[in-house]
Amino acid sequence: MTAVASSKSSIRTGARSTEAILHATNLRKTYQLGRTKVPVLRGVELSICGGESVAILGASGSGKSTLLHLLGGLDTVDRASGSEPASSIMFRGQDLTRVSVRKLDDYRRRRVGFVFQFYHLLPELTVLQNVTIAAMTAMGTFEYWRKRGQIRSDARELLDRIGLSHRIAHRPAELSGGERQRVAIARALINKPDLLLADEPTGNLDRVTGGSILDLFTRLHKEGQSMVIVTHDETTAARSDRVVRLVDGRVQGG
Amino acid sequence: MYQLLLTKRYLTSKIMPLLAALAVALCTAMVIVVWSVMGGFLVMLINSGRTLSGDVSISWPITGFAHYEELIKRLEANPEIAAAAPVIETYGLIGLPDGRTETVSIKGIDGPSFSRVTGFEDTLYWRPINTPTEKDTTRADLRLGKHDLWKQLFEGGKRLVRTEVSKSDRKPIDRPAVVPGISVSGFNFREPWGFYPGLPFIRTTEGAKKPVDMFMLPVDGTVTLNVLPMDSKGRAIEMVARTFPVANEFHSGLYEIDHKTVFVQLGALQDMLKMNRAETIDRSGPTVVISDDPSKEEFVTPVVVSEAPARVTNVLVRSKRESYDTADADRLAVVVADIYREFAEAHAGKVPEPSSIRILTWVDQNRTMITAVKKETALVLFIFCFVSLTAVFLVLAIFWAMVSEKTRDIGVLRAVGASRSGVAGLWLLYGLAIGLVGSGIGFTLAYLVVTNINGIHEWLGQKLNLYIWDPRVYYFTRIPSQLDPTHVVIVLCGGLLASCLGALWPAARAARMNPVQALRFE
Ligand SMILES: Nc1ncnc2c1ncn2[C@@H]1O[C@H](COP(=O)(O)OP(=O)(O)O)[C@@H](O)[C@H]1O
Ligand SMILES: [Mg+2]
Repeated sequence: MTAVASSKSSIRTGARSTEAILHATNLRKTYQLGRTKVPVLRGVELSICGGESVAILGASGSGKSTLLHLLGGLDTVDRASGSEPASSIMFRGQDLTRVSVRKLDDYRRRRVGFVFQFYHLLPELTVLQNVTIAAMTAMGTFEYWRKRGQIRSDARELLDRIGLSHRIAHRPAELSGGERQRVAIARALINKPDLLLADEPTGNLDRVTGGSILDLFTRLHKEGQSMVIVTHDETTAARSDRVVRLVDGRVQGG
Repeated sequence: MYQLLLTKRYLTSKIMPLLAALAVALCTAMVIVVWSVMGGFLVMLINSGRTLSGDVSISWPITGFAHYEELIKRLEANPEIAAAAPVIETYGLIGLPDGRTETVSIKGIDGPSFSRVTGFEDTLYWRPINTPTEKDTTRADLRLGKHDLWKQLFEGGKRLVRTEVSKSDRKPIDRPAVVPGISVSGFNFREPWGFYPGLPFIRTTEGAKKPVDMFMLPVDGTVTLNVLPMDSKGRAIEMVARTFPVANEFHSGLYEIDHKTVFVQLGALQDMLKMNRAETIDRSGPTVVISDDPSKEEFVTPVVVSEAPARVTNVLVRSKRESYDTADADRLAVVVADIYREFAEAHAGKVPEPSSIRILTWVDQNRTMITAVKKETALVLFIFCFVSLTAVFLVLAIFWAMVSEKTRDIGVLRAVGASRSGVAGLWLLYGLAIGLVGSGIGFTLAYLVVTNINGIHEWLGQKLNLYIWDPRVYYFTRIPSQLDPTHVVIVLCGGLLASCLGALWPAARAARMNPVQALRFE
């Protein structure tokens, strides 16, 4: 059933995937710390299939966040050097490592949704605005003006589904951690992304709250949302279709 | 779109940027106030300078030129010219009732025609008024009562005469009189509320104060004018002194003029300066025929061999068009020059050559003052604009700090799809918003200050004894002020620009930020 089978990584079959929506090969990322080079990713191979939920498991500092940022078009891979084959992230026939900046912006706007460990909500905005702002970046002033009713009702519906309809006018500072993370999830979903990228979404929450957030992810997954969840917690990973382990900058299929 | 939303939120939730807006406000207000006061000052200067100078002046100083009546006729026949008037300008000494002598500019005028060309009538101070001046809350202004007296003085002032009752036949006679500027005599002390009370005492020659019931120059005073006549070759003849009653006093608002100018009836000054019509007679024959028969004795009527016509030094011309345009004034000067050329041809050899006569517009006549004020305005504005650059740096500093504070938000925005230019746009828009708020407050502030500037000045004077605007230095007795819409628009745009300029660098920094590092930022 797996559409992509890389030579190096062993990819476990996704439960309901038929076709890879994203296919990363030979991802390399090196940080420069003063004079020394710190290679964090040394040739990661990864495919995500439609409707699949993948957990990326790894120790702290193993490069999970780095990988997620690369997949989300937020960061750039190392520039190709002579000997190694070039990195590539294929998404719908386009290599994200080679597209224009505008295309990459557009990719982040419409194709992926990010959820962060520390929620990263904008403190000045209300819950509703925090959700709609992601839709705003995807359109011009005029277009937003025309569609604002639709967008707001979409956002409300989303918040309702996530169980936050009573908090719409509140500021993030007035919400609990779990509630904030729900808002962040709603924000990530407002543009109906093909792929949801979550970086330790429960890392900052207590067990019970984290569990409910994970329940939410499971529900979304059941509704057909493809997602990548980064975690260092085995139980969290266990809920996914597939677990990918990041060790020494490479993927070890679980 | 998200930029608008965030700008709105940031504006209402942050104090720091409002401080930046306040700085912008203060700077714009400062520049607008300065420009308004200086601009108003210039306009007032020009107006006042013009009040007593007409639009164009034809002049041949000191010795003067003849046949001016005919020149005036020719001028007034022109459709562009409303009126023309003869004037003699000279310098002299004025002896005042308290024994003081001052040098003054003496102007011989014919009241009615001078009023047609200038605003002379409007400058006459002693006249009946019905509404008290702006700040005269107690109605203490002398001119509010005794209307008959003021009416008489006003009428006398217009014609430069004082009507007195003849001692012999008790008939009223008009004596030629002078109209000095309100500050010439030194008897008029301006009240802070803007009018001149009469004097309860008079200083005598010895410097002592002699109390009087109420001394008023136009009522009781006479002054002595000393002038130096010249012959037609410009040689001084002998000082001539003559005592005149005072008909009225004028108040142009220009201290320089009010302090140093005396108007006197044209005929009387011509007389003193020997510029009046004079006949030369043949002195070769006998003047008296003496005969043995007393009935045959007679005076011989002198034979007039030549006639020297009356002269004036200036003819002032007023345009039919009310215009403050320099070009209009220049155009009128050309018309006047043409008329003068024709006139000079008709009197070849008897009047100054068209090439040497001086034809000056009101702009030329007031040039030194006008250019001085213009230069001063430019300099002051430059300095204040320079000072206002602090607003740019303040916005820069505050925005820099805010961009740092909002680093993570910038990362989040990038993560949800905002482009670099979009993020830069957010900060620029924010800068613009700060500029708008600042300029708005600044304009309001400036408007309040400018429209109340005299009140504020008065208040400062009363409470802190701080009189910044000394009429002895600044010509005017009121602080001139008016908001010029063009100036206001320029300054407000400057405020907006300054804010955007200040936001530019922080915006570029925000745009350049690596989103991943921004997100990792704690
Ligand atoms: N901007 C950076 N400069 C240098 N080193 C970095 C930078 N960002 C991350 N690293 C390093 O890269 C490694 C991987 O980090 P990260 O992807 O955040 O790991 P994880 O999310 O798995 O904890 C860590 O050792 C971290 O110190
Ligand atoms: Mg991490």
